[in-house]
Amino acid sequence: MGSRNRKGWRRVINGVNISAFFVTLFIALPLYWLIISSFKTPVALGDSPPQYFPSQFSGANYSQAFVQYDFGIYFRNSLVVTLISTALVLVVGTLAGYALGRLPMRGKFTLMVTLLMISVFPEIALIAPLYLLERQFGLLNSYEALIIPYTAFNLPFAIWILRNYMLGIPKEMEETGRIDGAGPLRTVWSIILPMALPGVFTAGIFCFTACWTEFLMALTFESVNSWRTIPVGIAEFGTPLEVPYGTIFAASVVAVVPIGILVFIFRKFVISGLTSGAVKG
Amino acid sequence: MATVDLQEVNKVYPNGFHAVKDFSLNISEGEFMVLVGPSGCGKTTALRMVAGLEDITSGVLRIAGKVVNDETPKERDIAMVFQNYALYPHMTVAENIGFALKLRKMPKANITSKVKETAEILGLTEWLDRKPGQLSGGQRQRVAMGRAIVREPSVFLMDEPLSNLDAKLRVQMRAEVQRIQRRINVATLYVTHDQIEAMTMGDRVAVMRSGVLQQVDHPQVLYDHPNNLFVAAFIGSPSMNLYEASMSDDAAAVRLGSQELALPAADRDTHPGLARFGGKKIILGVRPEHLPAANGNAAAEAADSTLVGNVDLVEALGSELMVHFTIDAHTVVAEGAASDDADSTARAGEGVARVEPSVKVKVGDRITFAVNTAGLQFFDPETELAIWD
Amino acid sequence: MTTASSAADEPAPRPAPLVGRHDVNRKRMARLGWAFSAPALIIVAAVTIFPILYSVVMSLSNVNVTGNGFSLSGVTGSNYSLVVKNSTWHYALGFTIVYTLITVAVELVLGTLIALVLQRLTAGRGWMMALLLIPWSMITVINAELWLYIFNGIYGVMDAIFTAVGLGHPNFLGTNDPAIISLMIADIWKTTPFVAIIVLAGLVMLPGDIFEAAEVDGSSGWSTFWRITVPLLRPTLALAVMFRVLQAFGLFDLPYVMTGGGPGTSTTSLAILGYDAMFKNLSFGPGAAVATTTALLVLLGCLISLRTFRVQVGKEDS
Repeated sequence: MGSRNRKGWRRVINGVNISAFFVTLFIALPLYWLIISSFKTPVALGDSPPQYFPSQFSGANYSQAFVQYDFGIYFRNSLVVTLISTALVLVVGTLAGYALGRLPMRGKFTLMVTLLMISVFPEIALIAPLYLLERQFGLLNSYEALIIPYTAFNLPFAIWILRNYMLGIPKEMEETGRIDGAGPLRTVWSIILPMALPGVFTAGIFCFTACWTEFLMALTFESVNSWRTIPVGIAEFGTPLEVPYGTIFAASVVAVVPIGILVFIFRKFVISGLTSGAVKG
Repeated sequence: MATVDLQEVNKVYPNGFHAVKDFSLNISEGEFMVLVGPSGCGKTTALRMVAGLEDITSGVLRIAGKVVNDETPKERDIAMVFQNYALYPHMTVAENIGFALKLRKMPKANITSKVKETAEILGLTEWLDRKPGQLSGGQRQRVAMGRAIVREPSVFLMDEPLSNLDAKLRVQMRAEVQRIQRRINVATLYVTHDQIEAMTMGDRVAVMRSGVLQQVDHPQVLYDHPNNLFVAAFIGSPSMNLYEASMSDDAAAVRLGSQELALPAADRDTHPGLARFGGKKIILGVRPEHLPAANGNAAAEAADSTLVGNVDLVEALGSELMVHFTIDAHTVVAEGAASDDADSTARAGEGVARVEPSVKVKVGDRITFAVNTAGLQFFDPETELAIWD
Repeated sequence: MTTASSAADEPAPRPAPLVGRHDVNRKRMARLGWAFSAPALIIVAAVTIFPILYSVVMSLSNVNVTGNGFSLSGVTGSNYSLVVKNSTWHYALGFTIVYTLITVAVELVLGTLIALVLQRLTAGRGWMMALLLIPWSMITVINAELWLYIFNGIYGVMDAIFTAVGLGHPNFLGTNDPAIISLMIADIWKTTPFVAIIVLAGLVMLPGDIFEAAEVDGSSGWSTFWRITVPLLRPTLALAVMFRVLQAFGLFDLPYVMTGGGPGTSTTSLAILGYDAMFKNLSFGPGAAVATTTALLVLLGCLISLRTFRVQVGKEDS
């Protein structure tokens, strides 16, 4: 408020902007450290006191990650598992979200709440039976090992988001569709879905993030190296005695950049998704 | 053969609410039928039953001679325009209009030509590639109509399509809708709560109240010859003035408060039933337009059929004066007939008259009206029915 | 009715209500609804409800893991008694609860402060929000590795900072309390932005005229904050807290990578304990008992946080 009276650069310096600057530092500094460490040589990484700005930039960590540490495999596995799970969640979730939002079903509210309650269950409680069951059915160390649970765990939240978006569509839309002669599936595909597209993007980006970053199940179900996903791969880089930080950070940057870009592009949807889950008072 | 034929149709909701009672109506080919009534009277429910969006609890609905109670909206060959237009926001005008045709698997070339044709009738040709969000209210309304027209249905259904438009646009679109309907000559059922729309647009008007049809007639007949108190009060703006009154013993004059209004023989002949009410209480209805001011014309003032009132308020409209007056009689309110307009006068003894703008009258004056006795309406206070024979 | 009342003695008996073919359409739509929801419901039920129940069953029996499968025998409370008597479990329980309380509290305060700052930001708010999303989208393991590096006793940057300030060479991850604090810092760094976004989104949705009215009434910054902003933000804050409590209870990724549960067992959370029991020691019975008790605690945590904020879930049903 008072800053409007000041001129020039004084206008920029006020309490809010200074605080915002510190917030930016808070977030950016560790990220900076992550990125430049990925370009440091192993010697530079062990330097004490550390080089705040690397004297020598090396891309060796990056090539090492892919050549020596199979990061390419991990990346591929994460991509496959994440994309397929997300696709499944969106298809199945859209239909369910439509049903639970707009079709006259008895007890659909109870159903919705139950779904949400299930989704907040801590993973550790489910990991043991899931592991044993997958082991019994020979599902361990495969793509399905993760796709099935990932789809199941992400469905409730996706359905919640999709349902909320669909609730906002006026009822006359469906009625007009009926009069025009559209069957139920046609109505969902041609009329409801295009209007609920923001919801689809929101659910999609959330699902993608959840699958990409999941650790516990990936650790438990994919013990064989060729099936590992990124989180497990990175965690197991090297040995307890020799932790190849440079390579770890190089792999981390490669892992963070795509999802960072996706989240940035779709940030409006992420933010609206975080708020659409707000509980009504 | 009527295109739409409803026989004793009822709608009862699961919670027991009886929304539409023994509704019987027929609409001929090309006829513009307006279904009018206050909010909640069941008119929209009736319309939706014809459309197939609501199940019919009992009764028979025929469209083009075929019983359609159990058929889906698509099978009934009807088209509907919703109050909120319900245009698909992600499709262009052309795609909106052509959607139903696409669903029927019509070849693309045919769809394009039909859409073009329809757009021409509605003056939408230059907007075919726009999306609804880029159009004005009136244009969207025309697209909604286009969507309905292009299917060449047997019946047109319209649910208060003009309610969302501002007053001036509404008047314009009233004429548009009528013009289009006349051109395509399809049986139309038009629902509204606005009696002005009903009167100006309908070939016939059906008045509804609390789920029951009150009267179905040509607009002029409804105006001149209402069957009951509700219809009389509902039709006409400003509403008819209604008073508690009584007939003289010989049924030749009406006692209204301290005044007496002589009934000429001609009028007694048109209402022979009045004879039974000699000495009894009735309800007298007189429309504001049937109360011209006697205005210093000595002969008119001395006549027997005059009414004198105290002026409360004078509204100058330019073309006429609305004089709000009081007399010492009790006014009657027909429940549910009061429109949303501001002209519901509910206080005791008040009435409204429409007089010539040249009349010199101001608040506090006493004014004499030369009552147009031919236009008087009489009602039985117990049954609310009009007294004719 | 007219003001002149009807002269009938008593109303005629009402005819019996009409019963007809109601809502055939409605039933059709309902069946369709079940058909549409079925795939989702089946998948979720198969992968969550069934294993949950199975977990409970496992926790109450003796589990033998063989080469290809496993078998359950007997019904016994021995798993639970084993767990409840185990001192490590006691520690893990206490640690997890305290960890949750502290991190959630700190994140709530910091997150709200950040949100308040961002709300007043005129230019660049969009960019700031985008920046806030990056830690949220990061893989926790990566975050753990980063802070593992930062807290390294020899070449970590935190050590360099401490030395420069004159605070010596604390062994961040090798001593009990510093290890816990280091974990918390890593967690707080990653999650505070998430809380900030939720709170900011809630703040932005608050109607502006209420604040203008407060200003006219003479309310100052702090007073407005406590008397108006906070009560209005209650649902949003409750949501944020609930999410975080749920996450914090499942604490696994950070300790696994940063400390392995140590030094000793000082950073062994309930999830780490359960995991070690089941997949390192192959004692699935007791492990399941740990897992089930953790789940119950989580549910309890949800209920408590909902109650604390006195929020009701909206009821809109057909």
